[in-house]
Amino acid sequence: MKPGTKLKSAVCDTEVMVIKGGAAMVSCGGAPMVDTRPAELLAIDPAFAAGSKIGKRYVDAAGTVELLCVKPGRGSLSLDGVALSTKDAKPLPSSD
Amino acid sequence: MKIVAAGPVIPLSRAADAMLARLARATASAAIAALDGGTLLGERAILIGASIPGRISAGGACRLIAARDDFVALNLARPSDRELMPALFEDAALDPDDDAAIAHRVGNREAAALVARGRTMGLPIATMRECRPARPQSHSLLCPGLAFVGTRRGRPRVLDLSALWAGPLAAHLLWLAGAEVIKVESTQRPDAMRDGQPAFHALLNQGKQSVALDLRDVADRQALLALIMDADIVIEAARPRALAQLGIDAAAIVAATPGLVWLTITAHGTTGEAANWVGFGDDVGVAAGLSAELYDATGGVGFVGDAIADPLTGIRAAEVGWQMWRGGSGGRFGIAMRDVAAICAAYERERDPLAWRRTLVYWTAGEGGCFPHHRPRSSVPAATLGSGPGRWTAIAARC
Repeated sequence: MKPGTKLKSAVCDTEVMVIKGGAAMVSCGGAPMVDTRPAELLAIDPAFAAGSKIGKRYVDAAGTVELLCVKPGRGSLSLDGVALSTKDAKPLPSSD
Repeated sequence: MKIVAAGPVIPLSRAADAMLARLARATASAAIAALDGGTLLGERAILIGASIPGRISAGGACRLIAARDDFVALNLARPSDRELMPALFEDAALDPDDDAAIAHRVGNREAAALVARGRTMGLPIATMRECRPARPQSHSLLCPGLAFVGTRRGRPRVLDLSALWAGPLAAHLLWLAGAEVIKVESTQRPDAMRDGQPAFHALLNQGKQSVALDLRDVADRQALLALIMDADIVIEAARPRALAQLGIDAAAIVAATPGLVWLTITAHGTTGEAANWVGFGDDVGVAAGLSAELYDATGGVGFVGDAIADPLTGIRAAEVGWQMWRGGSGGRFGIAMRDVAAICAAYERERDPLAWRRTLVYWTAGEGGCFPHHRPRSSVPAATLGSGPGRWTAIAARC
């Protein structure tokens, strides 16, 4: 996954941009994310249905993957079956 | 006879003077009447020792960079913004701290497309000549409220939920005019100016009582709601989803709280996609067309003032807040930094086109020099974070 690539969920409205990638394959709602959303959405896996939030950055525990949610949806993001977690809120600048 | 050269004045000081004069009349406050626009626009730069900017903002974080067809203002004030650079340019090899490499990549892009992409990523970014409303409004009614009923306080109670410059300045001006001000900060994310620029932070936040709340905690969120309901004027500059995530519905609150004046400060307004765009004083000033005016008048590429949309908006927000509170008409009012800055530029241009042009020429010629003379203002230290909790917890418990 190249930084800047946009990926879409195959189960819901979620869209993410890859901030940090590598060879990993991420999923949303239990299904691998795709470049083009299928005409008919796949079924959402209830284990990955906590939702994605716009503007949040999602990371794995090892820090190999970072995704920016640019469109929210019902599915939650995961890598190799493990849910990604949100990065803490961005600190404000000390000045602007 | 010694001839004193007419030094530069900060562009838009006269517009700031006009707003301050109106605020002084409305509040009958001697402290407000003693202020001048140039001081409020320039005092931060002087306190941090910044010089008149060219292509790098006075604060140092924002740059005007040539794209293929226009200049782009890219504000990398937060480390988290730099982390997005490889994704913005779709280039894993880009070193996010290499400003020359970033400038090179901007140079290959079309400005509007780059800015649109940056904005969906939450970056503070703007083009020099971007589309703006033809008739900008300095404030707009977002949600109708209720007229005030009962006995009102002799001086308003202001709840300052904002950080950095514009919102805190608005609350500070209301404090100078006699208001009681309570500043609320999140324990996770206090106002970064507190440690970043302590002297300037003290100037804007002196005299405010400080409440620190853990917004992840249910009881603290209740306390925040109680503080809001007990205020006359709320000042807030969060993005819509941030309030929603705290369970705060501003429209419902103003519809149920007679007389409550809720000021929402935004970078680019509250409608459509633009409601979610992030902006700080320097990039928003560019979005307002200030650097385009400078370029057209002088041929120079540079920032106008120091994060100038911030102080202009702070003054305007104080004016709107006081006016609505005095008039007893509650509601939620939106104040967009971009639109306030554009209106101030139109005011100076229309008032005296030649003087405006001369001001811009002097400004460009002064690049690298000191900010124009101002009247230093005194300040006592700001209250320690969370030093005023007891009384406010008690208020929360009553509700």
